[in-house]
Amino acid sequence: MNSKEVDILLVDDSQDDVELTLHALRSENLANNVFVVHDGEEALDFIFCTGAFAQRSSEHPPKLILLDLKLPKVDGLQVLERVKSDERTRNICVVMMTSSREERDMASGYNLGANSYLQKPVDFSEFRKMVKVLGLYWLVINRPPLSNGVAHAAGQGK
Amino acid sequence: MKSRLKLLLVDDNPADIGLALEALSGSAHHSEITSLENGTEALTFLNRGGKYADAAAPDLVILDLNLPGCNGLTILETMKTGPELRRIPVVMFSTSRLSRDIVRSYELGASCYVSKPGNLNDYLSAVKSIENFWCGFACLPPKGE
Amino acid sequence: MSGTATQIAAKIADEPKVKLCALLLEDNRLDADLVLRALRRGGFDISSTLVQDEVSFTRALRPNPPEIVLADYNLPNWTGLDALNVLQREGFDIPVILVSGALGDVTAVECIKRGITDYVLKDGLARLPDVVRRALREKHERKLRHQVEQDLEKKMEELARSNADLEQFAYVASHDLQEPLRMVAAYTQLLAERYRGKLDADADKFIGYASEGALRMQVLIQDLLAFSRVGRNTAPSASVDCNSVMQEVLQTLASPIQESGAAVSADDLPSVWADRTQIVQLFQNLIGNAIKFRGTEPPAISVKSEKQDRQWRFTFRDNGIGIPAESLENIFVVFQRLHTRTEYPGNGIGLSICKKIVERSGGRIWVESQVGSGSAFKFTLPLKTADEHGRTKP
Repeated sequence: MNSKEVDILLVDDSQDDVELTLHALRSENLANNVFVVHDGEEALDFIFCTGAFAQRSSEHPPKLILLDLKLPKVDGLQVLERVKSDERTRNICVVMMTSSREERDMASGYNLGANSYLQKPVDFSEFRKMVKVLGLYWLVINRPPLSNGVAHAAGQGK
Repeated sequence: MKSRLKLLLVDDNPADIGLALEALSGSAHHSEITSLENGTEALTFLNRGGKYADAAAPDLVILDLNLPGCNGLTILETMKTGPELRRIPVVMFSTSRLSRDIVRSYELGASCYVSKPGNLNDYLSAVKSIENFWCGFACLPPKGE
Repeated sequence: MSGTATQIAAKIADEPKVKLCALLLEDNRLDADLVLRALRRGGFDISSTLVQDEVSFTRALRPNPPEIVLADYNLPNWTGLDALNVLQREGFDIPVILVSGALGDVTAVECIKRGITDYVLKDGLARLPDVVRRALREKHERKLRHQVEQDLEKKMEELARSNADLEQFAYVASHDLQEPLRMVAAYTQLLAERYRGKLDADADKFIGYASEGALRMQVLIQDLLAFSRVGRNTAPSASVDCNSVMQEVLQTLASPIQESGAAVSADDLPSVWADRTQIVQLFQNLIGNAIKFRGTEPPAISVKSEKQDRQWRFTFRDNGIGIPAESLENIFVVFQRLHTRTEYPGNGIGLSICKKIVERSGGRIWVESQVGSGSAFKFTLPLKTADEHGRTKP
């Protein structure tokens, strides 16, 4: 786990949503390097290699963070703010994926620097479709940077 | 499903603009596309200056790096430091695969960075994916403060 | 004098005199004259300066340095050896002949070790002309050799610069060619798709050829770029674990391996001193080729290594179609292909990239093969660390 590359950090306290997400990613062969945490504190520890994840190497930040808003311990917007205000991590792609329909939350998300914001559809198959599209877009089409200033190569597309 | 979104496409290569329009021609999203080939003009458009006084702000900007007039990174920086323009997501779309261009774009606030594929089908597919994700799935920030 | 001696003297007297500019370091005038006389008898037309101490010695070196220094070993405040130090310090390469009274053998050897060219005893001055001649000849040869070395060094610098220019050119050209080519390829393809069947049959054919040509050019340029990149990268060499490289390659080639039913086996491989990205590319090209150029049976590929002197020798053996004897060498040449494009896809750049990588790492690559019985690609790579390489670590 220490130096294993994580493509996606999935931050969500809803086990159902986590499973749906993983299932959708798996069908696109994108689930190999997904790490799941269930609250904001764990998420921060993982990203900053502290606490329970002190052994993690900071050389390999995740290529994408899928971040729910409503989280126990530390909420999504706070996690977002921490990530985007720290030199070492602010370039990491953070996509808010939340059931919140509050425009205020969305505005805050973008203001704090979220790369994108999605509302989780209620419908299962719509949810799965969204995760597939988002996985393909952010891991294959998009080129994420690395925090030490070196960019990743484009994903497994071709 | 969603209302017609406004895309601003800034690219100095009319052939590439042509390809992008080709890619989006059959799209179900029916986005309104404005394309500009000059960086300075793009900024004027975004700032609603001169002949663009009545232009509506775009919902998404697809931005090349190398542009005559003002280059892509400057446009990005200007947008992300302006109170209104900063909330508009910017997708960098460039042939450059240089680390420094990619990292700098993220540093200046680009939402994502897509390298223009060399192969026609991949190119069309990339443009379609950009539109599909941003117009079909992402929630774009509300207009006005 | 004996008959022979007279003859020699006469002979020498008849031959043209060799001009010689000498610096004598001697406090005894008489001894100095004896030395000069011996040299004149020996066929030299001498012009000389006589000095006794360091200051005058040093001054006499400029502006016209002497061709030879003849020094007494024991002077009041100085020795012939000190003269040598002055010469070395001032950067002169002038032979120093010690002309001295009895010198113990030990002292003589010491002097020669320190850089004295030769020594002659004062009661053996007859030898002096030959000794001088030999010293001058050796100096001349030294000078020639130095000149040759300098020329060689200059030529090598020019060659390296020229190579660098060429590589830079190849890189820039292929890089800059990509853009306009992308336009041609994209739009001929669009033309083909949009107007297929709508113009006439000729039009379809013409557009098809143009489109295929453009697409092939795109791949060629990409290959050229990959090839010229091998020379351009600035990653420093480090210890590369070839087992982990194999893992990476097997994963990258997972699809073709599965589709062809290939079986790839590898020994426990060593670590080598090279650029990891390039070694990955090397292994990938070789294994990829072994899979591509397979025969009727599923490919069976083995990777072995053995230590040889200061190198590792790797063997990539396959059971593919093999290579005819006459092609074994030029198979590594850029864009050389042995088959038509319809038989086997590809541009023929994979092996030339392999060759470039191996040679840049200080190794050699070759192939042993027979048509119908597979091929064994072999290459050498330097041993693991700078230590093992024989260099000292900084």
